[in-house]
Amino acid sequence: MGLLLTVLAPLSAVNAFMLRIGRGVGIVAIAFMVAAILIQVVARYLFNNALPWPDEAARFCMLWMTGLMAPTAFRRGGFVALDMISGFMSSRVAAVLSLVLLLISILILFVAVQIGFKEVTGFGGRFATASLYLPTFDGWFRVPRSWMMLSLFVGVVLLLVVNIELILRSLIQMMGGGDRLPDLDLPEDMQGAE
Amino acid sequence: MLIWFLPLFLLFLLIGLPVFFGLLAAPGLLLWMNGQEKDITLLYRNVYNGMDSFPLMAIPFFMLAGELMNKGGITIRLVQFSQALMGHLRGGLAQVNVLSSILFAGLSGSAVADTSALGSMLIPAMEKEGYTRRFAAAITAASSVIGPIIPPSGIMIIYAYVMGESVAALFLAGIVPGIMVGVGLMVMIRVTADRYDLPAAKKVEFDGVELGNLEKWVSFLLVRLNIGLLIWVIAPLPDTSGLMTWATFLGSVAVAHALMLALRTQVSAEFRTVCKRAIVPLQTPVLILGGILGGVFTPTEAAAVAVAYALFVAFFILRTMSLRDLPDILSRAGLTSAVVLLLVGAAMAFKTVVSLSYAPQILADYILTLSENPLILLFLINLLLFIVGMFLDAGPAIIILGPILAPIFTDLGVDSIHFAIIMSVNLTVGLATPPMGLVLFVAAAVSKEKVETIAKAILPFLAVEIAVIFLITYVPAISMTIPRLTGFAN
Repeated sequence: MGLLLTVLAPLSAVNAFMLRIGRGVGIVAIAFMVAAILIQVVARYLFNNALPWPDEAARFCMLWMTGLMAPTAFRRGGFVALDMISGFMSSRVAAVLSLVLLLISILILFVAVQIGFKEVTGFGGRFATASLYLPTFDGWFRVPRSWMMLSLFVGVVLLLVVNIELILRSLIQMMGGGDRLPDLDLPEDMQGAE
Repeated sequence: MLIWFLPLFLLFLLIGLPVFFGLLAAPGLLLWMNGQEKDITLLYRNVYNGMDSFPLMAIPFFMLAGELMNKGGITIRLVQFSQALMGHLRGGLAQVNVLSSILFAGLSGSAVADTSALGSMLIPAMEKEGYTRRFAAAITAASSVIGPIIPPSGIMIIYAYVMGESVAALFLAGIVPGIMVGVGLMVMIRVTADRYDLPAAKKVEFDGVELGNLEKWVSFLLVRLNIGLLIWVIAPLPDTSGLMTWATFLGSVAVAHALMLALRTQVSAEFRTVCKRAIVPLQTPVLILGGILGGVFTPTEAAAVAVAYALFVAFFILRTMSLRDLPDILSRAGLTSAVVLLLVGAAMAFKTVVSLSYAPQILADYILTLSENPLILLFLINLLLFIVGMFLDAGPAIIILGPILAPIFTDLGVDSIHFAIIMSVNLTVGLATPPMGLVLFVAAAVSKEKVETIAKAILPFLAVEIAVIFLITYVPAISMTIPRLTGFAN
């Protein structure tokens, strides 16, 4: 158990740090989404100009918001699941089942990471977005589609890392070390709900 | 072999695998066993393409608008407004609870938000008035299901997206069923008043209710503009253009003003103040539905405008929020929507496998062996949905069952919008049904009452909601009239 705790402590700290950054970017992204759509409405009605970019820019932000914030929800137990059966089990059997579920999840995420990498670096990612441009010193740079596709890949990678942390926590809990687990960086209204 | 994805998925779900992973694991595993590894890549692509959608953006926006309104302190205003209208009746606060839920539903599409916002305010107040805590918690939970039925509604946006329906049509179709649930609950409160020994009717006093100067003028203008616009739209005025159009509109606003002046003498100054304080928050559903119906905004744009309006109200009119509150609100809205969006993406991948496996056709053949009468089949499907709703939240249930069940019933001649409403209302009521009803747990947390106790006390109210479900099912006009009148359905 000592080894598991030694591995878990830095992983937990790294996850907490990365997910905090993810939440920060997600907050900016959701604010930008609102701003982009409002700009679209205002431009259409006040300036009689149907701008092409706000739609795509807002979707870009939404995808990144999802990729960066969903892992936090997963870490906090926010993914919808039926936990009815575990309620009828002894705590030991429930812990084993919880570990099995995490192992199934990690398998899916592992496959998803492999596919995600191929998708981002593959043929589909080489296309450019329809209307997103970035200013550079050499003129306007058309944003590649892979930048958008990267959002889900990053999300899946973060979910995978969180899943590893949750597996370690589950193993330590099964070995009776639940009281030595590091905090999960829960918000105030979720403290104690773990 | 692919048809086995459904039982496999159910097995994953039952053992407690998160729905997101279950939606991918079951079809993925069978594709792999079938030697169709390349199609697993398709699953991943469909998750991405499923999330990359403009209409879906309405979900985070409506969640954000609801959070902003709630944090901005509109709940107390809606409760006081409901109290001014219904507080004087027998069991007044229980009636107020239901009316507040109907009003709150126009701002937030979430039953959980409704239960926690209204419950934390009304349950202690009801206890103080002599209601039992279990009754107060039960009526709060029962009335909160109106939230996702009356627009805006998160689950209807999800349904519309996954099934390719019009969000506006579903929003419009939900109005009457939502109000019917509310009215049904109010009638049940009145009928059971003696049994529960509800407090007698009494006059409601409002002390120290004030209105800011800016809010006074904003509410003054909004009321006249809204009523004026309504008169202008429904009055049989001759077709005009240019200046004459503006003149007829201003004439309608003048009529609205005269109407308000006439009403002014009929009510007390306190009553007027309480009503005025509710006008600014209640403008949100008017803005959303008016914008969509008038063809001014798409539902997503309407949701973004609702966010801007909520920000304006909270920062400049009510002045109840500071910039420091914003990150927390944005974070809450982002986290909740990220989970939903990921789930919708997985649902789109799942839907592909549903079509590849011919599951709807196979299930349809099986269902038709039970009966060929659509009325009996609708009864059976309501039973199935009700049982599913007892264990699963409305959103995931819609995501899973929509692609399987909807094609069967539309083939049987049930209108797709009508079926969407049956499904949405039924699964939403499931949020308040034991043993797994989410709002029961929220009501228990807010009231500090046991879930089992609330589950017992809620039964008469659930009976009303079940009756409404069957009315909606067998009288399509209840949900279809408004979409048809407005041209959003055939």
